[in-house]
Amino acid sequence: MNTKIHHGDWEPIIGLEIHAELNTKSKLFSSDANRFGAEPNTNISEVSTAQPGSLPVLNKEAVKKAVQFGLSIGAHINLVSQFDRKSYFYPDNPRNFQITQYETPIIIGGSVVAVVDGQEKEFQITRAHIEDDSGMLKHFTNFAGVDYNRAGVPLIEIVSEPCMHTPKDASAYAMAIKAILEYIDASDCNMEEGSLRFDVNVSVRKKGETGFRNKIEIKNMNSFSNLELAISHEIFRQIKAYEENPNVDPKEVITQATHRWDPDKGETVLMRKKEYADDYRYFPEPDLLPLVLSQSYVDDIRKTLPELPLQKEKRYVESLGLAVHQAFFLASDKKLADYFEACLETCSNAKLLTNWLIVEFPGRLKEKNLSLYQTAILPEHVAELVNLIDKGDIHGKIAKCVADEMVAAPGTTASSIVAKNPDYQPLNDKSAIEPLVDTVLAENQDSVDSVLSGRDRAFAYLVGQVMKATKGTASPQVVNELLKEKIAKIAAK
Amino acid sequence: MIHTYSANLVHEHFMSGKLSAQEIVTSYFDRIKRYEPKVDAFLSLSFDRAVAKAKALDEKRAAKQPLGKLAGIPVAIKDNINVQGEISTCSSKILENYKAPFSATAVNLIEAEDAIIIGKTNCDEFAMGSSTEHSAYKRTKNPWNLACTPGGSSGGSAAAVAARFCPVSLGSDTGGSVRQPGALCGIAAFKPTYGRISRYGLVAYGSSLDQIGPFGTCVEDIALMMEVMGRHCPKDSTSVPKGPDEYMHSIKQPIKGMKIGVPWQFLQALRADAMKNFQEAMKTLESLGCQLVEVDLSLLKYSLPTYYILATAEASTNLARYDGIRYGLRSQQAKTLDEVYDFTREEGFGAEVKRRILLGTFVLSSGYKDAYYKQAQKVRALIIQQYEKAFSTCDIIATPVTPNPCFELGSIQDPLQMYLEDIYTIGLNLAGLPGMSVPSGFTQDNKPLGLQLIGPQLGDVLVTKAAYNFQQTAAFHNAIPDIKE
Repeated sequence: MNTKIHHGDWEPIIGLEIHAELNTKSKLFSSDANRFGAEPNTNISEVSTAQPGSLPVLNKEAVKKAVQFGLSIGAHINLVSQFDRKSYFYPDNPRNFQITQYETPIIIGGSVVAVVDGQEKEFQITRAHIEDDSGMLKHFTNFAGVDYNRAGVPLIEIVSEPCMHTPKDASAYAMAIKAILEYIDASDCNMEEGSLRFDVNVSVRKKGETGFRNKIEIKNMNSFSNLELAISHEIFRQIKAYEENPNVDPKEVITQATHRWDPDKGETVLMRKKEYADDYRYFPEPDLLPLVLSQSYVDDIRKTLPELPLQKEKRYVESLGLAVHQAFFLASDKKLADYFEACLETCSNAKLLTNWLIVEFPGRLKEKNLSLYQTAILPEHVAELVNLIDKGDIHGKIAKCVADEMVAAPGTTASSIVAKNPDYQPLNDKSAIEPLVDTVLAENQDSVDSVLSGRDRAFAYLVGQVMKATKGTASPQVVNELLKEKIAKIAAK
Repeated sequence: MIHTYSANLVHEHFMSGKLSAQEIVTSYFDRIKRYEPKVDAFLSLSFDRAVAKAKALDEKRAAKQPLGKLAGIPVAIKDNINVQGEISTCSSKILENYKAPFSATAVNLIEAEDAIIIGKTNCDEFAMGSSTEHSAYKRTKNPWNLACTPGGSSGGSAAAVAARFCPVSLGSDTGGSVRQPGALCGIAAFKPTYGRISRYGLVAYGSSLDQIGPFGTCVEDIALMMEVMGRHCPKDSTSVPKGPDEYMHSIKQPIKGMKIGVPWQFLQALRADAMKNFQEAMKTLESLGCQLVEVDLSLLKYSLPTYYILATAEASTNLARYDGIRYGLRSQQAKTLDEVYDFTREEGFGAEVKRRILLGTFVLSSGYKDAYYKQAQKVRALIIQQYEKAFSTCDIIATPVTPNPCFELGSIQDPLQMYLEDIYTIGLNLAGLPGMSVPSGFTQDNKPLGLQLIGPQLGDVLVTKAAYNFQQTAAFHNAIPDIKE
């Protein structure tokens, strides 16, 4: 299947800003809890509501998680970084300035590797910095309220280079970032709860053109598929606009603006034009000292980093023989990779197992919008199913039926499903299959002739007919052998 | 008679049983009742709180339970320092009914040592000013001359101690706001090294310059307060990571051989009577065995513009939180979000605060930041270097506190002229240095004058020691103003 989108002689340029909430116990500058889903304005303090006289104190756990992330993407860790005030008025911004890192971020550079259309691609990161989250505005019929539970939650903002050219690039890059954050346990990366958020910058230019044309920033995409759809939509919108206005100055055709993705309409909607650059009046935060890290602190964190997605992916390819795209798929989802490895404890056919984990079960769970690890189907259940297939105890079609039942009644083991259903009992006894083979051969003389004249497809048809006659319980191997024997005998006559 | 006692003596008499805490409180409140209508030092009085604390202290003493280092000492607190449960207006309409949800670390420390908080004092709105006239509520009068201002911005706290409404009080000093009213009211006043007293609970004006400081009738009382308040606080990231210093014994050691740096060039414009007073003070120090050396602080001529760029830049963001959304005033006229912001801040802030927010917003704006904010940061670094160089040739530096003695209420209308009142004090804030204002005499018309003694960073004890020795010889602090009823 060719999933590449063709943009003619236009080249899209895509950059991502990812905001990830760090899963620290307390907020970035105060001791109130960093927890999603509490009653409004219960996880607040004098600091996160900006009471007069309150002061920020930096959360060391947040710094550690940021450094872990920086090292995981091979970035340079700034041993001296600094916080700045970014001024803007909005009710969810309690101080009316955000504390962020503008001039000297803690993380510079770095890259991630992601698999796009089976190919490994490397994407560069410009910088990443620590900052605090805002509260949330809630609109009611005739008034609005602000919930400051989220105000002060630590974020890292990860800014990519404009190094992506397709929607798939962007989602693969975002998946790779998410995977790293999950592996080092820096963020819950729950897109529905907003702990992982994407802002994307999109522009297009004629192939061969140097320099960038005006870009559009898109906000509010809370899933990888929405991210791809929004970018895809925006690329075509821009190409169309340029092509319809060949004689207009490109700067006039697309003007810099911020759009919002509307998933219901399936299009990006203008939020605001950026006629002037916002003036945030950045200056160093006088309430915090520069953040100074020692080299030994950084080295110690480096030594204790866990296995990272890329390392895992390589291990799956090299020692388990998986295809690169399969290994990337598994390794990109920490929980799925953990599940996979739990299965491997009692199952040795990694390739077959992988197929069940990334194709068969996800297909069956799609409607429920669940991942395998979110169900009561345990790794040992899946391992057992694969083992049954591997041993030849059940075969393709029956295995699929067993899987259907495992999904229908999560927690039931494959062996108990097989044991309860007489139709699922494997039929490996040659003497029981033989009469059925004879019948099929007798009823399909044409096909036998075709096989004799060298047509393999006819042989497969005959296998299918026998399998059908045994309701799929026969071992395809035994059926094969018997058919070959018998046809050889016919040929010998 | 109690009102003539130092804080140390009040504490001593309480500990020895000569005075009960309730007698002490009653005595000071009687004096407040009598003279406060003339002075207008307080924005709020906490009589019930003070009496309850006094009762508790008397009971503790009767039960022979351990008592704190400040047991029995009444203290007034500037209204921009939070006392939990008390209104903190910062002399601004925008915080008219704002009840502080937590106490400043400095307040917690003195209360833990059994000080008795008696009320919150008037100041310039958000500590912006040098005369306490920029208060939204009242004009405090100088107890030495009721036609004059007490100075500012901590004018209420200075006037309260000068009028003997309490033996000690707390102020805050961003450009001279403790030392200048201290000098104008004839009492001792101290701005410690930046970060020595926690800023937690001090409502921010210029965060990199703000520092809480004590007022007292004598230097020993400043020392006592510093032993309690001058320590590391984990809630203030800029707090000096160092435990408390010992003052009471150290400051009583002689200062023979101490080198006093004097920036004579910088003092050329000083008016004659003030110069004469300063020269006499220098003679006093020489008589104590100190050696005078000249130091170059020529860069201080840039200290005012540097300060008014940096302090206002910080203030413009520090005061952004007063928006009518979470607490404080919200304009009744506002119908939209923008109007909530615009009308609330229009109604809630006074002219000087608005002027400084506008100035601070301007100097940070894109296109101007390099010319103003960044340039001022560079000048600040140079001023720090020049002080360091000066301290390589001397132990402490001496200057007057102010160019003029106390001035009449309403007499300075031009903001720039008002800013000049801080010309000798502002450099210390830029460099984070400790500075003591100690009474050095009176003008012919009986207005107090002050001497400023400046130390290197963390030279707090050294400065206090020099000031104590000076005070023992030139005992102007014993004079008490005669307030006309």
